[in-house]
Amino acid sequence: MQKSQWIWLPATQIPIALFAPASYGATYLTIEQAQEAIFPGENLSQSFITLTSEQVREIERRSDATVRQKQIKLWKNPKGGFFVVDEVLGKHEFITYAVGLNADGTVKQIEILTYRESYGYEVRNSDWRAQFVGKNASAALKLNKDIKNISGATLSCRHITDGVKRILATYEVAFK
Amino acid sequence: MKSLSNEIRRARPLLGTIVEIGVPRGDASTAIEAAFREIETIHRLMSFHDSSSDISRLNRSEPGEIVHLDHRTHEVLAYAQLMSQVSAGAFDVTVGGKLSEENFLPKPAQAKTFDSQACFQDLVLLPNQSITLTRRAWIDVGGIAKGYAVDRAVMTLKKFGVVNGIVNAGGDLSVFGAAQPVHVRHPENPSLTFPLGKILNSAVASSSGCFNDHADVYQVSDPLVDPRRNRRLNWRFSVTVIAPRCIVADALTKVVRLAIRRAPRILSRFRAWALIIDRGGLQILHPEGNKGMTGMLKAADRVMTAENLIQFHTSLRHFHERAIRSYD
Repeated sequence: MQKSQWIWLPATQIPIALFAPASYGATYLTIEQAQEAIFPGENLSQSFITLTSEQVREIERRSDATVRQKQIKLWKNPKGGFFVVDEVLGKHEFITYAVGLNADGTVKQIEILTYRESYGYEVRNSDWRAQFVGKNASAALKLNKDIKNISGATLSCRHITDGVKRILATYEVAFK
Repeated sequence: MKSLSNEIRRARPLLGTIVEIGVPRGDASTAIEAAFREIETIHRLMSFHDSSSDISRLNRSEPGEIVHLDHRTHEVLAYAQLMSQVSAGAFDVTVGGKLSEENFLPKPAQAKTFDSQACFQDLVLLPNQSITLTRRAWIDVGGIAKGYAVDRAVMTLKKFGVVNGIVNAGGDLSVFGAAQPVHVRHPENPSLTFPLGKILNSAVASSSGCFNDHADVYQVSDPLVDPRRNRRLNWRFSVTVIAPRCIVADALTKVVRLAIRRAPRILSRFRAWALIIDRGGLQILHPEGNKGMTGMLKAADRVMTAENLIQFHTSLRHFHERAIRSYD
């Protein structure tokens, strides 16, 4: 049997360059690409809605989630389906995603559009977040381009799950 | 960024995490869709939460009752049993009851109770994809199914003619066909990453107590149960395992954490090696000890394949020179 050994390296001697601070992020799909991925070949018509305060309260009651944006980025397809672009803000991540709903309000497909991680205060800072509005998020953030595959403790998708719950409640309250 | 522009990446929320699939640009959308479907199926079959899953049916079953399973669930449980045997019970999928007691998992719907004496030996694999429990137990395959899902997704992509790519299920990943750089997160400060080097035709999985649903990043809360003591662990370190298959890497992260003394032998058996990062530094657990490490460092400039597994970052030489202690 092979003799097995540990190699032990104390933290104080780790060259600082080896542990590089990373602002990890990825852009997966544009809105148009996501529409094509979820409703291939179908013409979607933009039909943004703004929720009333009563609707917000009802959605929050039904989904147990806070409604941060009253404007819902909604598209409809001719068959009665819905396409919604939404964003969720976790403690350390900022995710935009699209949800396709069938005409009966069931989830057809979920696609993540962009994913950004941050460990500073900037995610909470509205100015910092404002830079994402109306543009491709990858252009706005300096990212370490080499870091695209990370292994580490598992990231949770809880915020997206909660977001989808909120969108389903929004469907009940405001789409139908 | 050149490689990125030649690549399509998609991500969906699955398996309780974010699953990312990257393949070369081209007509690969059918393959990606099929791979996500396969992961969805595995999610549905092996969910602890979903009362219609194979695992839930098993958790509701009476001792002695024969439960028929999908071939994939059976395969995962067979692998889990192998891991339990080689680790003398350090790896054990019957820890679902304890995790439920500690609120890391919900109480399964309709399941009566579980026998706190139950262990992996109470899970008996039978022919024709069936299984029986000799004691009431709540099975949770959370420690192995994600790796399996990654392997199945890779198989699906290959079946559709995809020649290279990556599947990354929230940190448990597999690279095939063409080498890709992989970084490992620091367990205490997830904004710091360690460059593992380029990975080819191998899988990487990590396990750590931080960064989960139940706590802030800097507050340790760890859903890993030591089955032999029936206690949950609170350790501030992360284990990364590099292995030929992701199911192996995923399961071995738990084995290394729970059976650290026997880990080198177990790792060697599966042609795997491990990297441990904690506040004190970095440890490398390689089946060939210093010899293996030196070989790896010498070969640091080239990409290694499954046998040697990895191309180490050249600056790791500094680490090696400063190694001050070694254990048996």
